[in-house]
Amino acid sequence: MSAGHHGDGPSPIERRVAALESLLVERGLITSDVVDAVVETYERDVGPLNGARVVARAWVDPDYRQRLLADGTRAIGELGYGGAEGEHLVVLENTAEVHNLVVCTLCSCYPWPVLGLPPTWYKSFAYRARAVREPRAVMAEFGTAPADDVEVRVWDSSAEVRYMVLPLRPAGTDDLDEPALAALVTRDHMIGVVR
Amino acid sequence: MGGMHGFGPVEPEVDEPVFHAPWEGRTIGLMIATGARGVRTGSIRPAIEAIDPAAYLASSYYERWALAVETQVVAGGALTSAEIDERAAAGDVERIRSDATDPDLVAVLRAALDGPCEPSGSPVAARFAVGDRVTVDRMAPAGHHRCPRYVRGVTGDVVRVPGGWPPPGDEGEPEATYTVRFALPDLWGDDAEPGWLFIDLWERYLS
Repeated sequence: MSAGHHGDGPSPIERRVAALESLLVERGLITSDVVDAVVETYERDVGPLNGARVVARAWVDPDYRQRLLADGTRAIGELGYGGAEGEHLVVLENTAEVHNLVVCTLCSCYPWPVLGLPPTWYKSFAYRARAVREPRAVMAEFGTAPADDVEVRVWDSSAEVRYMVLPLRPAGTDDLDEPALAALVTRDHMIGVVR
Repeated sequence: MGGMHGFGPVEPEVDEPVFHAPWEGRTIGLMIATGARGVRTGSIRPAIEAIDPAAYLASSYYERWALAVETQVVAGGALTSAEIDERAAAGDVERIRSDATDPDLVAVLRAALDGPCEPSGSPVAARFAVGDRVTVDRMAPAGHHRCPRYVRGVTGDVVRVPGGWPPPGDEGEPEATYTVRFALPDLWGDDAEPGWLFIDLWERYLS
């Protein structure tokens, strides 16, 4: 959706954002390096690999797992992660009996420090509308079908808590070390659209 | 949006980049930079919600953010719409950067966006306790709020009391919030999928 722009050259929204930034910079109200730093942070430093490392640590260290479920913010902080949109993190544990799914129906609340910025589909009207009404139907579109006796819990992040799912450790991974385990964990596992 | 029909399937994009075009990254950078420098007024969500409904539905996510940032910068008096219009019409997208830097703010922001923090949420008096049955008030607020329509009038159980935060639209003293659990059939009817909905609500929305 780029406002129906098809021609060459900058689109109307590109021009508008550039106009805003250049005027603010010219007036000395902001500096470009601050904007650069934000972009770099989310393109380079903060993304779902952070969350995957948290999950892998919880899989190999039962004490850490316990701290993570009791106080997500502090336990995630132990690994060096935290900050904006992660000031109060709650980690939801998937088990053989329970599956968790996270959404924000009002806007796009998401645990930035562990998952980075949300993907477009998470912010889409379809996901926001449907995840709370027909979570199994939505998961099925991601190829996920929890057994009928699994309890589905949907979490609508509507206030200040941000949620992240601790997925089940896959069978047959006893020999893997922490980095190898982290490589198995995807953003979609930690949102819960994939089990 | 919760519960609405007609938006079709959820469509994930394979190997989606963080930003699809540089202007999207500049938009979130501007949002944070202008907020940190006090160049815009108010918080971002009310400004996004105030976008004309037809424009809201027709815009992409970062287009809505860009519009909200611009609206707040104008509201704060730093720039006028007319000068942004004029600059955008000139289309001079290269003339953005300056040599001025702000290393102190860069360091502050890097720590604030990417570093351990103390859990937020104040210990405040709470009317309800874990296990209490609560009903969401029926209401139709015109301004910014954080109580989705689809839970109004429905009864559920308090499962957690995470702490207090300033309520939306009234950024004053912290007020207790509750994680409330609802059965999906209580929200959507007897033919709903089985399961539970958990949602965080400020005390003012509950009875």
